Amino acid sequence: MEDYKFLFKVVLVGNAGVGKTCLVRRFTQGLFPPGQGATIGVDFMIKTIEIDNEKIKLQIWDTAGQERFRSITQSYYRSAHALILVYDISCQPTFDCLPDWLREIEEYANSKVLRVLVGNKLDREDREIPTEVGEQFAQRHNMYYLETSAKEAENVERLFIQIAAELMEQARCKELPRYEIGSESIDQNATTIKTKPCCNN
Amino acid sequence: MCFSCFSQFRPRYKRLVDDIFPALPQDGLVKSNMEKLTFYAVSSPEKLDRIGEYLYQKASRDITRKRDSYVKIAMEAMDQLLVACHSQTLNLFVESFLRMVQKLLECSEPELQILATQSFVKFANIEEDTPSYHRRYDFFIEKFSSMCHNNSPDLFIRDGIRLAGIKGLQGVIRKTVSDDLVENIWEPVHMDKIIPSLLYNMQNPRYKVDSEEKDPTVLAESCFRELVGRASFGHVKSVIHPVLRHFDLHDLWSSKLFAINCYRLIMFSIQSQYLYTVVESLMIHLDETSKLSSKIRTNIADVLSKIIAIAAGESIGPTVLEIINSLLTHLRTSVTRQSTNNMTDVDEEEKNYQEALISALGEFAAHLPDYQKIEIMMFIMSKIVQSKAVMAFSNIDNRIHLICLKSLLMVCSKYTSIHMTATLPQSFLDPLLRCSRAFDSQIRLLVQNVLHTLFDRHGNGTKFIKPTLEFSLLNFAYEKCSRSDTIFMSKHGPEIYASLCESLEHKNNSIDNVEAVYKTFALLCLELTSEETIGDFFHALINIQDLALTNDSLPHVLKYQLHTIVICLLSLAAYIHSINSLQELVNTIIKTRKEVKALHLLPDLCIHYEVLPEHALPKGVLLDQIQLVECLNHAGIDITSKNFPLVHRHSWVESAPISSLSDVSFLEFSSNSSSPSIERKYPHEDLTFEAMKQVLSENVDKQREQEIVRGVQIFEQYKSLPFTDLMNISNRNEEDTLPYKLGEIFNKLNTDSNLRSPIRYDEQKECYKPKLESLFPECFVY
Ligand SMILES: Nc1nc2c(ncn2[C@@H]2O[C@H](COP(=O)(O)OP(=O)(O)OP(=O)(O)O)[C@@H](O)[C@H]2O)c(=O)[nH]1
Ligand SMILES: [Mg+2]
Repeated sequence: MEDYKFLFKVVLVGNAGVGKTCLVRRFTQGLFPPGQGATIGVDFMIKTIEIDNEKIKLQIWDTAGQERFRSITQSYYRSAHALILVYDISCQPTFDCLPDWLREIEEYANSKVLRVLVGNKLDREDREIPTEVGEQFAQRHNMYYLETSAKEAENVERLFIQIAAELMEQARCKELPRYEIGSESIDQNATTIKTKPCCNN
Repeated sequence: MCFSCFSQFRPRYKRLVDDIFPALPQDGLVKSNMEKLTFYAVSSPEKLDRIGEYLYQKASRDITRKRDSYVKIAMEAMDQLLVACHSQTLNLFVESFLRMVQKLLECSEPELQILATQSFVKFANIEEDTPSYHRRYDFFIEKFSSMCHNNSPDLFIRDGIRLAGIKGLQGVIRKTVSDDLVENIWEPVHMDKIIPSLLYNMQNPRYKVDSEEKDPTVLAESCFRELVGRASFGHVKSVIHPVLRHFDLHDLWSSKLFAINCYRLIMFSIQSQYLYTVVESLMIHLDETSKLSSKIRTNIADVLSKIIAIAAGESIGPTVLEIINSLLTHLRTSVTRQSTNNMTDVDEEEKNYQEALISALGEFAAHLPDYQKIEIMMFIMSKIVQSKAVMAFSNIDNRIHLICLKSLLMVCSKYTSIHMTATLPQSFLDPLLRCSRAFDSQIRLLVQNVLHTLFDRHGNGTKFIKPTLEFSLLNFAYEKCSRSDTIFMSKHGPEIYASLCESLEHKNNSIDNVEAVYKTFALLCLELTSEETIGDFFHALINIQDLALTNDSLPHVLKYQLHTIVICLLSLAAYIHSINSLQELVNTIIKTRKEVKALHLLPDLCIHYEVLPEHALPKGVLLDQIQLVECLNHAGIDITSKNFPLVHRHSWVESAPISSLSDVSFLEFSSNSSSPSIERKYPHEDLTFEAMKQVLSENVDKQREQEIVRGVQIFEQYKSLPFTDLMNISNRNEEDTLPYKLGEIFNKLNTDSNLRSPIRYDEQKECYKPKLESLFPECFVY
């Protein structure tokens, strides 16, 4: 018997320093890490949430934004159910890089992957990218859009819950890309919907 | 969860499992009960899957409740069951075992992650009878790769997790590598994680513990080796590609030492039949990075030069030339790039790049057997010839030329020449000599350097850098000229000397050129002259003096330099062959030169001389041919029967298919035979078999024969005149500056390839037509 019914892989991407790690830590550990160092390679976090009385396990891969880790980070896109593309609303260059990121996603990720654009650091006063601009960009590229603050814990929970809910919806309609072949896979619960009896022995 | 409702009817296996957990977690696994569980599992293997599942459930709950000690006990129990079970039944258990491992890996506690990895490694080391094709390792590769990048501020934790990550990857590799159907570890999606993870740990070693247990660097290295060593055909590229990518992204080409070490590691680990693939991939990568800075390219080429030798031992046949060809192509591309850039700092880097490529070429050649080196030399030579055919006269062409010759020189320097017939077959000697007369002085210099490396078999080269008259202290190492070399020299000596002399006729000869030709002569004298062939050597020296006397187009400085090397070489010959009479003659000349303050005719060579041209040659400072012949006769050496001047003629006629230029030939003739008192016989008069063969083999055409006949007439005519008169005549005959002009044109032609080779000539004439036709219309009546 598993302790979750769905397992979704979520991968965070975006320029260095936009706050990917802070978002993940806020979500998984409920804290805003002081002096968060740049991520090296890829970090892994797990968090189980509950929606509609269903347990959902989120496998979160937090990638390094630094260019030099690009080859390893890209290799994680492929198996993602959802990709969170993060930029910093107070830093124009991180927004300007979005098309590059989309190109990479296009190249390395599954075409059906759920894509979410996140403008982080909502708490900052020196905003450079107005909400509408981010929103329009997201619309144009067929992405969900949300502005967050890892620091003030704004919209962070919502971000992941919505992703999970959306993925669950897709999974129920069998739209979700399936990565694990065969029902006996060790990740079997990730994508297959089974109603497991509470006590099966 | 509704466990409670079943508690009183707990099945036996559950009770057995429950019993292995102690009341107090710190007491650890209850050993006696574990034995009972193991016994039960072994005797009723059909229950294994349930046992596994139940242990997993318990551990999951303990993880949630943060009861790590119980989690560890559960894992330990699973480890023991895994080892105890027979392989046939293992499949049933592995499923829950791996889920358990994954569960632990998902925890944030480093300790549990490390524990999980240890269990995974135990599993990986078990050989299963039947592979489970449905089992997936994606998560493990993803997680272990992530662990390899752990960045915990606590170094102890960081190392621990990184080590665990590497061990985990090693486990996955071992588990899957033998059977692609299980999980194709070589898929890019896996290799793109594994390779960078290993390299990342290798690239910045923090300490040198040199223990796989403690140092991630060491462990990553050994894991990397293992992986590379297991790559079979089709997989090699899957390994190499991510390596190149990682090197680019992390700018590892700049940390040369690491790049070289890493590539050495690859070369020494990879199965030898794929060595070439590594070399090839680097060369392809050079193409791909052609847009990158030349500095990076230089570094890549440098790596190439450091590892290429390892591939040389394994390369055979076509691959060898393929590699050489590819290197030459890169060189050519670089030259072309250089000329389009036209920026000096770029040029500097580009030059380093070229040097690195050339040294790669040399490294490669150095490790090939000698016969292949000759093949390579001839191959490079053929490239030079080709390059000229394609882009005649252009600046780029010249640079390509230079670069090819530099490459040739590099290969030659790795070659040990023993018998000259093997070293310099006609097909190699011909184009080489042709290049030695090229118009570009740098090209001529390089060709001389090539000749130096080929002739200098006893390491005397450094003793001949500057012309000198003092040889007794130089301690030459040499052997008597062998029979086969003597045959070689009697056959090819004349053409070699002729080309050397001709190369001195260029007025753009620098002091380096003159010194280089001196060195070639000196090495020839030391290595390849015997009593039979020394005559040609002396004739060549006389020719040089004549050249200095009669060719007015030459700068005075060059003339003085030529006089100087003549006396030096004469002295050398006297010393080597112990010809006392000749030594006396030389001493007399030197003495006279000193007395009349003709120091410009004595070494060292200078760039500038104070002496006025009209006072340059006081009486008695020159080498008198009669005296030379006499003193050689005295020593028992007869040089009069040689046909040397004629051969010089040949080369002229040959190098100019436009043989109606009789004036030039005529002039040449007169200068070569300027010592009328010496009885020289023309081969036509003195028909030996050798001479006949030579004439025949040189593809004589009618025009040329007529030319020779004319030449003989002139020669006969001038034979009776005294030397000085002859000089005057020949000077007078140099009507205007025509010879000089022609010389220049010919030099240009010479630079340019195969005018001599009849096959090439046809394609060549197309491109030269306009220029030549306008100048010499009469030559173009085919
Ligand atoms: N004001 C504000 N600062 C934030 C917020 N999120 C992150 N930061 C700060 O931004 C910096 C970078 O955050 P990280 O989470 O390390 O950024 P990252 O995207 O993970 O960067 P890489 O790992 O290098 O790709 C840190 O100094 C954080 O304190 C936020 O919501 N508001
Ligand atoms: Mg980060």
